[in-house]
Amino acid sequence: MIDRPHAVLTDPGKCIGCVACSQACPTKAIRVRNDLAVIDDELCIDCGTCIEACGYDAIRPRTSSPADLKKFKYTVAVPSLTLYAQFGDDVHPGRVLHGLRQLGFDETYDISWMCEMVAGATDAFLSESRGPWPKISVTCPAVLRLIQIRYPDLIPNLVPIETPRELAARLRRRRLAAELGLDPSEIGMFFITPCTAIIHSIEAPEGLEASYLDGAFAISEIYGRLLKAIRHDPGSDSTEMISHRGLRWAMAGGEISSMRNANTITVRGLRDVLYVFDRIESGTFQGLDFIEAYICPGGCVGGQLTVAGRYMAQRNIRQLTKRLGDQGAVKEEKVRSLLRDHFFDHESEIRARQVRPLARNLRQAIALKREKDALLERLPRKDCAACGAPDCETLADDIVRGNAKLADCVFIRLKELEEEQMAHQGGKDG
Amino acid sequence: MHEDKSITLRDEPADPQAAGGEVLYREMFRIAGNDFEHGGEAATRVKALLTQLGFPPEAIRRLSIANFEAEMNVIMYADEAQLELAVLPDAVRVTITDRGQGIPDIEWAMKEGNSTATPEMRARGFGAGLGLPNIKRNADEFSISSTVNVGTTVSYVVYANGRSGGDAR
Repeated sequence: MIDRPHAVLTDPGKCIGCVACSQACPTKAIRVRNDLAVIDDELCIDCGTCIEACGYDAIRPRTSSPADLKKFKYTVAVPSLTLYAQFGDDVHPGRVLHGLRQLGFDETYDISWMCEMVAGATDAFLSESRGPWPKISVTCPAVLRLIQIRYPDLIPNLVPIETPRELAARLRRRRLAAELGLDPSEIGMFFITPCTAIIHSIEAPEGLEASYLDGAFAISEIYGRLLKAIRHDPGSDSTEMISHRGLRWAMAGGEISSMRNANTITVRGLRDVLYVFDRIESGTFQGLDFIEAYICPGGCVGGQLTVAGRYMAQRNIRQLTKRLGDQGAVKEEKVRSLLRDHFFDHESEIRARQVRPLARNLRQAIALKREKDALLERLPRKDCAACGAPDCETLADDIVRGNAKLADCVFIRLKELEEEQMAHQGGKDG
Repeated sequence: MHEDKSITLRDEPADPQAAGGEVLYREMFRIAGNDFEHGGEAATRVKALLTQLGFPPEAIRRLSIANFEAEMNVIMYADEAQLELAVLPDAVRVTITDRGQGIPDIEWAMKEGNSTATPEMRARGFGAGLGLPNIKRNADEFSISSTVNVGTTVSYVVYANGRSGGDAR
């Protein structure tokens, strides 16, 4: 595996150099060079689309290994709510939590109640905020990255409230350290994740100096062992703290459904996210208070590291919340007082990550832009990606930046060969 | 004869040369009246272009708001228009020339809250009467002229380094 700071790793042993990932990548961050997919760290938002697109299992998430658990004196599994959604009606969250402990964690920590807390805090924040509108959720880390690189103007629209997973990990880590007489660093907290974006957010967090989580295991990689543990041991942990409202956060629409404010929308999937963000940037949608947006079409249940698939997972969550009833676990006054005490605040500023222009100097950039347009005229516009770039426009961009050459295009090369042959034949005849 | 009512509203330019400076790059975009389906596409393309050219995000943001408003004005009220983008050394100038009904009373249209949008337009989130004043507010220079039953020309300039002109890039 090629090591890089992102959560998405390519395996040179498995990659055959096809262009499926390159064409699927929403930020055009992947090029195929010498039969190997190479990911541009500057452009990658860790959305994991490439993992789904790869038919050769050559792109893998960077997850923790069981050996990582041994580095800590006490370990905690913090499951994404999506984990509960991987099972049918016979396996309720208490049994999932119980099963998780059998896999080698000292305890589990549910975050559904923190989701409900954050929904309440978001409501309170919206009622006191002065804009700019609409405010945008920071729950999906891939959306956050996308805003940093592609929509830097929308950074002031981000809700300045930390995510439930980090708030819960911080709270539990501090309490455990006090209870067990351990240094907080001796406690290992591992997220059970549905996606690569969260893995990267632990490695390189935004809004925090360092994550309160130590690593992540993919739902898909622990699922088999977890199912076996659940079948083997019918025991159940307490579900007293599980918030039925909070559980809905596993699905797109869950965040706004647990809020009071109804002047809100949910945006699902990358295409729609781009559509809506382009328009917010142009000043429309200002009449809305809040936007919940996910790169995965179904929200977290649609993460690429899940097993049940988003449709069954949605069904499972709906069934679960229906069975448990719409009961809040959180007191509104408590949330407001915690908000005033800055409990929910980000610890550091979220900054733009401007992607490089064609050139630093305007005249030079314009010259390159013209060069690029001229190249594009010559390219076949078939977007076949055989050159290693996802489409002709990106190849033209790569060429003017000095990262590719026109002969990388198979159509151009073929034409050149034909011309050479013609010239050769012409010479012979004459 | 058409009644020619034209008015020029101009903010004090920080650098009088900027708006009339050398055009380094020019591109034309066509906008079709009533084409809600493609509404905002010209603004999005201009934004992508200026990002590649390395224009500061704040300038791009203000220009994009103005472009989007202007583009929607064409779609809602005019038959068709040309959007001309001119990149100057320290600014961007956009000129939108439409063929259409024109604006009989520009001073009225320039007042916040005034709008002739139909209920259908309002239902789509447009026509809050913010269009023209919003363009002017986000631009560093602004001018408009209109001839009833012929068309309207709106032109505005956004400086790369903000309203005050600022340091050279």
